[in-house]
Amino acid sequence: MNPLVVFDEVTYRYRDGASGLCQVSLTIEPGEFVVVAGASGSGKSTFCRLLNGLIPHLHGGALTGRVLIEGRDTRQTPPYVLSRCVGLALQNPEAQSLATTVARDLALGPACQGLDRPTIAARVREVAALLEIEPLLDRPLITLSGGEVQRVAIAGVLALRPGVLALDEPFAFLDAAGAIRLRETLRMLHQRGVAIIVAEHRLADVADLATRLIVFQDGRVVADGAPRTVLACDVSKWGLEAPPWVRLARAAGIDATPLTLNEALELALPNGSVVPASPGDIPATLPVIAWEDVSFAHGDRTVLSRACLAAGAGEIIGILGANGAGKTTLLKLGNGLLRPQHGTVRMQGQAIGRRPLWEIARSVGLVVQHPGHMLFAPTVQDELEAGPRALQRHDRAWISHVIDRCRLESLLHRSPHRLSAGEQRRVAIGAALASHPSVLLLDEPTAGQDAVSRQMLRALLTDVARDGVAVITATHDTEWAYALCTRWAVLGNGRIVASGAPTTICIQPEVMVRANLRLPAEAAIRQHNERQAALR
Amino acid sequence: MNATGTFDPRAKALTYLIGSAAIILTLDLVRLAVISSALALLLSMVGLWRRWLHVMRVLMPTLALFALVAGWSSGYEAALGAALRLTALVCAGVAFFGMTPPEELGDALLESGVPSQVAFLLEGALRFTPMMGALAREVYEAQASRGIRFDGRHILRNGPLVLTPLLLSVMRFADDLAEGLETRGFGSPQRTSLRAYRFGWRDGALVGAALLLTILLVW
Repeated sequence: MNPLVVFDEVTYRYRDGASGLCQVSLTIEPGEFVVVAGASGSGKSTFCRLLNGLIPHLHGGALTGRVLIEGRDTRQTPPYVLSRCVGLALQNPEAQSLATTVARDLALGPACQGLDRPTIAARVREVAALLEIEPLLDRPLITLSGGEVQRVAIAGVLALRPGVLALDEPFAFLDAAGAIRLRETLRMLHQRGVAIIVAEHRLADVADLATRLIVFQDGRVVADGAPRTVLACDVSKWGLEAPPWVRLARAAGIDATPLTLNEALELALPNGSVVPASPGDIPATLPVIAWEDVSFAHGDRTVLSRACLAAGAGEIIGILGANGAGKTTLLKLGNGLLRPQHGTVRMQGQAIGRRPLWEIARSVGLVVQHPGHMLFAPTVQDELEAGPRALQRHDRAWISHVIDRCRLESLLHRSPHRLSAGEQRRVAIGAALASHPSVLLLDEPTAGQDAVSRQMLRALLTDVARDGVAVITATHDTEWAYALCTRWAVLGNGRIVASGAPTTICIQPEVMVRANLRLPAEAAIRQHNERQAALR
Repeated sequence: MNATGTFDPRAKALTYLIGSAAIILTLDLVRLAVISSALALLLSMVGLWRRWLHVMRVLMPTLALFALVAGWSSGYEAALGAALRLTALVCAGVAFFGMTPPEELGDALLESGVPSQVAFLLEGALRFTPMMGALAREVYEAQASRGIRFDGRHILRNGPLVLTPLLLSVMRFADDLAEGLETRGFGSPQRTSLRAYRFGWRDGALVGAALLLTILLVW
């Protein structure tokens, strides 16, 4: 059988001189399920773009070596022909939402192939049934959730009937339910004979489904083999985070490499000890910020309904909940971007009422999901000083402290727009902290961040809380939030349905299921061991 | 007229263009007021009243500035004329874009033999305008959260600060969009329109009536 994908000594450099891939040679056979892993900037996305001719046809740059897809040289074959061989679901599925309704979006690919209308309609029905999105067909794309948009994007490329489906970081913005659904979809497509390539640095989400794990570092392949074999190595040296159960097994001195949580449970790993001990039902100090009975609706859709939450100085609170649960709305109510339609938000006991946004910004800093939106100055140094100057509370000593805290010293004279995603996030946090707020709100800070950035962020936020700042972060990354937060507040049906230490929340399965939260591996192992001990 | 009982998108587009020309060329205030009232009636009949109000709220400062400049240079009649003209143009725009989904227009243009890339250019401009609006709002909110003021006179000094991240975000989105299009085989020279359109006698009558009305108004 001929290989589906051949990379023969492929080296690629982007137009701006940035290195993409270096001397990559590999083949992918029909029926394989390949996970391409690596830290941010390691070459995963470049690899995906080479698969369907986006490189070199769209991006230009310098390409040497050969990429063959089903025997076709990508350099000689235009992307619209290659799109029938390789379906690529991009990192930002919204950019693949090209029409106004789902049905029309699914029809676009076959229409671009020049197929007749009955065949196009049949293709739309076929992929809609395959991905179980028939009820969405007449829905406008803007009304879909993140997980639904992702499934529509996958269906859109599958409508071209490619032999290979490649996905670039598909799990980045999904909650637990969305991730489970995507895993099922990928498993089903693989069983139907579609070769799957997933570029992902969150190995816990997908490593067990794969038949092969390829690791990139600095554009080179540094590991290639069965997932269990590759994960048996120390993947942290490649900027990756092994699935938590692998790390726990290693910490316990167990030789085996479990690929799933269930495998890990069978190995009877000892309890972890990363979780902070604070019970945290009520803030230990007087609340610096409090949402009291707040309600908010977007048009006819109620997002929050009499939600209550309070945070004390030095607390780190994780706001968790399914996509669309109202996490971002709660944060925006906290800094005055939105005003509650019912209830009150208080800062240091004072209702913020109609106080202007700039005044609230003196006490509350918000880091939005896309930190690039916050940054406008020519250098990082200017960026850090812009907020305090606007608020007339410029304090050179404090800014130096923030630079130190956020480890920005080496970036001070660089343009914030030329930094990596992780660095931009740190600059945005620094810019928010530079105004000396007593509350720091963060919206999905780990979305799209690799292992190194996530660890750095955890350390940074712990330090920020030590400075007495109340840190409140909306996230669906339960593994990260379990190790970081002193308290979780779980949103469901528009209100806080549970609040307490992560260990306390994790033993309430009804809460976890209702809010689409994934049980962190460490909590699962802890519970398993406690059950075993009780049985003994 | 097509199978669904609405006018052909090309007829609607032509009528919109002719109507806009009529609004621009009409100098008489009474006639402009009649056109504006007729369009307002149309908007309320097709349920686009709220959308018009929303657009007008956003455009109000520009409209006021425009009228002020016209009034300053040419007197109150010119100011009133400018305000009425802009209002009527907004009415016409809201009516056309509200009653013509971008893809219908794109499909109809494809049927007329317009190259698929050109058709998508128009279709995409209409389809993604609201998305760009949402992006601008996100950038504004991110900046305002840092204490950057955009109220009153501050808009003059701080308004440009929104531009850098907005332009970068738009360019990034444009890059993503280009990739999204290529992954769907958009570069292909052939593209099937998803619906058949036929420019019927009613469509011709609609355009003819618009043309006749314009001549009568301008004359």
